[in-house]
Amino acid sequence: MQNALTRKLESYDELSDADRRALNDLVPRIRQVGARVDLIREGDEPDKVLLILDGFACRYKVLPDGQRQIMAYLVPGDFCDLNVFILDEMDHNIGTISACQVVDIPRKAIDDITTRYPNITRTFLWCALVDGAVLREWLVNMGARSPDQRIAHLFCELHMRLDVVGRVTDDSFEFPFTQSEIAETMGLSSVHVNRTLRELRALGLINLKGRVLTILDLKRLQAFCRFTPNYLHLRNTRWGERRRMTWPGRSEEG
Amino acid sequence: MTGRGNVETLVLLQPVAVDTNSPDRDGMLIVANGLLVGILVHLDAPEHGETTGWFLEAGFGRLNGVRAPIFDTLEQATRWVRDSFRG
Repeated sequence: MQNALTRKLESYDELSDADRRALNDLVPRIRQVGARVDLIREGDEPDKVLLILDGFACRYKVLPDGQRQIMAYLVPGDFCDLNVFILDEMDHNIGTISACQVVDIPRKAIDDITTRYPNITRTFLWCALVDGAVLREWLVNMGARSPDQRIAHLFCELHMRLDVVGRVTDDSFEFPFTQSEIAETMGLSSVHVNRTLRELRALGLINLKGRVLTILDLKRLQAFCRFTPNYLHLRNTRWGERRRMTWPGRSEEG
Repeated sequence: MTGRGNVETLVLLQPVAVDTNSPDRDGMLIVANGLLVGILVHLDAPEHGETTGWFLEAGFGRLNGVRAPIFDTLEQATRWVRDSFRG
């Protein structure tokens, strides 16, 4: 079975067999990390790229009063910023939510693969653009959507992101987040999260049991929060054929 | 004016029913020195699990956006409001 990174990259663009082999070589050593363990902390010197191959992690900050804000979820196939080692220190923490399979990719390996494989370079840059797009969408979510739509939107997004890496079965997927963690993600209190989940259940949209989230009616959930997946930039959600473009930098007619 | 110097803030609670779109319905208006500063709601919905007590549903003025703990009793809530207005 292909690893989650390859699957994710292939959801953006086609890869050759050579590309796939190179990607497999990028993840030789997998490390098991328990749930709720920090992978890198604010202030640490970033010296490698972290790749999540299985499980869930998050980016977060802790305010001086102890309040935590989660700014991003990392799901299988996601990595932290590819060029993070340009910076002197981390400005936020990355920690696991559930037990994870993590790969530490050294800087040299990234340099090597991007020098030799233009397709892979393009999909890596694609990942970075999508990370930015997701962050923008989360800003919209926090600032402009009601709490019930906000949580519904998160569920729709996770469904789509997990589906491309083969983690969704019959609209059900692992959902290891506690209600406090959802609250810390959504800028809501745990009480409001409880009530919102109750409402989404009562509307027949979702079921959340034993850390498994089932979306009972995906179309209706998407309509409920007006979910538009364009910001995930997946091949199968594009309006039409991809623009033809050579790499690097030289676009063709078309 | 509320909460000035070392003058104790007078906190009064007044029962009110609150629509929270959930079974949590019993509430209290919190009036501090004559001004409405917040609304407490008792957590009754089974979804809250072990968590029961009085939740600061909304805060105004100095309590706007403040994250309060969940209070076991109204006395605790009143004390917390008074402390929030001190200093």
